Amino acid sequence: MPQDQKPVLSVRDYSLGYKVGSDTLSVLKTINLTINRGEILGLVGESGSGKSSMASAIMRYLAPNAIENAGAIHLGATDLRAQTPRQLADLRGSRVSMVFQDPATALNPTLKLGEQLAEVLMRHQGLTSAQAWKAGEERLAHVGLKSPAEMMHRLPHEVSGGEKQRVVIATAFACNPELIIFDEPTTALDVITSRQILDLFAGLQAETGVASLYISHDLALVARTARRVAVLQKGEIVEEGDTVTLFRAPQHPYTRALIGAVPRPDRRLVKADPAPEAAPLVKVRGVSVNYGRKSLLDSLLRRDFTPVVGNRAVTLDIKPGEILGIVGESGSGKSTLAKAMTGLNRFDGLIEFDGKPVRGLSDMGRDYRRDVQIVFQHPDASLNPRQRISEILARPIRLYGGRDGLPRRRQIEEMLERVRLPATYIDRFPHQLSGGEKQRIAIARAFLSNPRLVICDEITSALDVSVQASVIELLMELHQQTGAAYIFITHDINLIRQIAHRIAVMYRGDLIEVVATEAIAAPDRAPYTRELLAAVTPPASLTLTA
Amino acid sequence: MSASYILKRIALIFYTLFIVSLLVFGITQVLPADAAVMMLGENATTEALEALRNSMGLNDPIWMQYLRWIGGVVQGDFGTSLRTGQPVGPALFSALGTSLTLAVFSLTFMLALALPMGVVAAIRRGKATDLFVSFLSYIGVALPEFVTATLAVLFIADWWGILPPAGYVPLSQNPVEGLRHLVLPVVVVSIIMIAHVSRMVRSELVDVLHTDYIRAAHLKGLSRGRILLRHGLRNALLPAITIVALDVGYLLGGVIVVEEIFSIPGIGRALMAAIQARDLPVIQAGVLIMAATYSIVNFAADLIYAWLDKRIQYD
Repeated sequence: MPQDQKPVLSVRDYSLGYKVGSDTLSVLKTINLTINRGEILGLVGESGSGKSSMASAIMRYLAPNAIENAGAIHLGATDLRAQTPRQLADLRGSRVSMVFQDPATALNPTLKLGEQLAEVLMRHQGLTSAQAWKAGEERLAHVGLKSPAEMMHRLPHEVSGGEKQRVVIATAFACNPELIIFDEPTTALDVITSRQILDLFAGLQAETGVASLYISHDLALVARTARRVAVLQKGEIVEEGDTVTLFRAPQHPYTRALIGAVPRPDRRLVKADPAPEAAPLVKVRGVSVNYGRKSLLDSLLRRDFTPVVGNRAVTLDIKPGEILGIVGESGSGKSTLAKAMTGLNRFDGLIEFDGKPVRGLSDMGRDYRRDVQIVFQHPDASLNPRQRISEILARPIRLYGGRDGLPRRRQIEEMLERVRLPATYIDRFPHQLSGGEKQRIAIARAFLSNPRLVICDEITSALDVSVQASVIELLMELHQQTGAAYIFITHDINLIRQIAHRIAVMYRGDLIEVVATEAIAAPDRAPYTRELLAAVTPPASLTLTA
Repeated sequence: MSASYILKRIALIFYTLFIVSLLVFGITQVLPADAAVMMLGENATTEALEALRNSMGLNDPIWMQYLRWIGGVVQGDFGTSLRTGQPVGPALFSALGTSLTLAVFSLTFMLALALPMGVVAAIRRGKATDLFVSFLSYIGVALPEFVTATLAVLFIADWWGILPPAGYVPLSQNPVEGLRHLVLPVVVVSIIMIAHVSRMVRSELVDVLHTDYIRAAHLKGLSRGRILLRHGLRNALLPAITIVALDVGYLLGGVIVVEEIFSIPGIGRALMAAIQARDLPVIQAGVLIMAATYSIVNFAADLIYAWLDKRIQYD
């Protein structure tokens, strides 16, 4: 690229803060960025690092309480900060556009997909409605959607998440912009769908040569996608450089910590199979879950009723002290099984726990409830916001006795220590804790009853990678101390390969196979397992350092 | 929305009306009113009363009386007014027509004011305009219609003489005079609903304007008008439809009061007169007709809702 060519995007000494009361909360500090034509810059950071604020600043879509310094943001020769609202509206969607994190919320639920695409063409290219509709069909075909004409007439809820994101991408590319900002475009999608969207992105990017700012928290993903990476920590770019160099020889400690926190399947965190010959602790035999019920009208009209299948005759064993991973896309029935095992879903079939048969909620006595605990994905939803930590953690002790001779409060403080939280947290409310700390409280609550099986349902997927690493470390510690068996439900295959003894793969309610973790990558796996594994982005440290 | 859903809803309306008919019939049975006394007067002889009761079937078991009544209703025969001796049906339906005219004008007037007020308040949230609209809504909610009606008649009709204080002229007879007579009743009946609906539209639109898809629309460079009307208002209006349908229930009640104050010969006034005269057949038929109106309006609201929001799958 010739030296004299102006970069497509240049950000110079830009700082941003938000006025909160009388204070200013600093979000971005002296940011310098450039992106040239044809280049992809990856912007990596954890939640709260300011990466989304960067996108808003470039798009000039800031909250009213935003306070900016004198720094400059240029798109080509245009000073974005000097544009009037009308000029900005002319720029947005035509010269700079955006692909959003969650296509389910970025699309208007009551407008046809075609209209949401065509309106951009009508606005910026002066096409008539008929022309724009026609052009829209071509654009949809271009992003790999089958039967684009039909797709134009669909509403967002009638298509899959991947299809929605393709429409959003088609809209972003519609007017051949100079710059596109991708704000975590695959975070809300399944593994396989993400892979396809990334391939589409790579193809379109190479074809159009559009400059791209790719924002993500996923280091592995950025390493595969971007040529250059900037690492953002608390509003500051702590390191920036060529992707390969940055991952091979990270200079800044934060970058090193981030790279180190990414799960690597080759780095096992758990000892070999605890008791290969032991009798299973739990036997799940032909457990099926169906959602929906036959309505009165259906029976009156003698209509056939087709329930929604959550699980179809799932059969598996869990040995004492074993960590069983369950992986699959959303809707594959992972959580449905967890809910059935904890009595939150009705099921057909048999669950045998420690030799005792459980056929339904009524068989789940006090012992079963003490022995089988569950930790949910969102601690915000699973911890009562109006209860103090002391009340939250007192409940399992009250229900299941706890240890004799020790005051309840003392037991709670000990448990807090075990999950590496200060004992002073005991009188706090959940909202006074960070996401990772809240999840530790949820884990503490599960372990207070001394369970023999803990079901972890996507417990780290809402957490940043470094927080995830510390929560996993804690879980492994507790595993060693208590010898409890885990069912670890996740969509993060790299992570599960680190910690599970065996992995169960689920697809649309069916259990595809259960395999030993070492054998998950073997060539004789089921086709779906191989497809799933192929879609996973391996950690950058593996692909780039090798 | 499936045809079977629509059929189911229609069946549900009939079921509701059946229950209402039982209730109405039951209540009128325990009212301290004797149809025979009503017809023959206080001084009638016991024999004459007994003879009339027998001929009217008032001595039959209650369930037989009910069946006879509901059987007539199904065939369009609502019985005979005790007061006037005329058939109930034609008189009530003509009164219903008058009330519906009042109701339709009120709804239109209300929407024409409430929607823009709600939208403006939402766009200028927290600013003076918003506060002013909120202030007006609070006043509107706080004033019952008999107060506003009295004030309106006092100032506009009596003191300033701009509009007629009472009475009704059918629009088909004299459109200008008909409209002049409608203005005050329509305004009075609309005020509370304007307050309701404008607040609803405001809060829904404020929520919608904070969604991701509105942000996306801004970042696509769309015009403010298009974002507001095509993307925002359409989604904000959906809940408002439900409120409007519920307000029709209020409208039916409000119409009774307003018709009484402005001497409009609508169904509300007919019902009031019937209650005062203990004219049981008219009371029964009137309540049934109002219940039917309410059910049908709510059904229509559901249909419109489903038509506007294609995600809604009634089944």
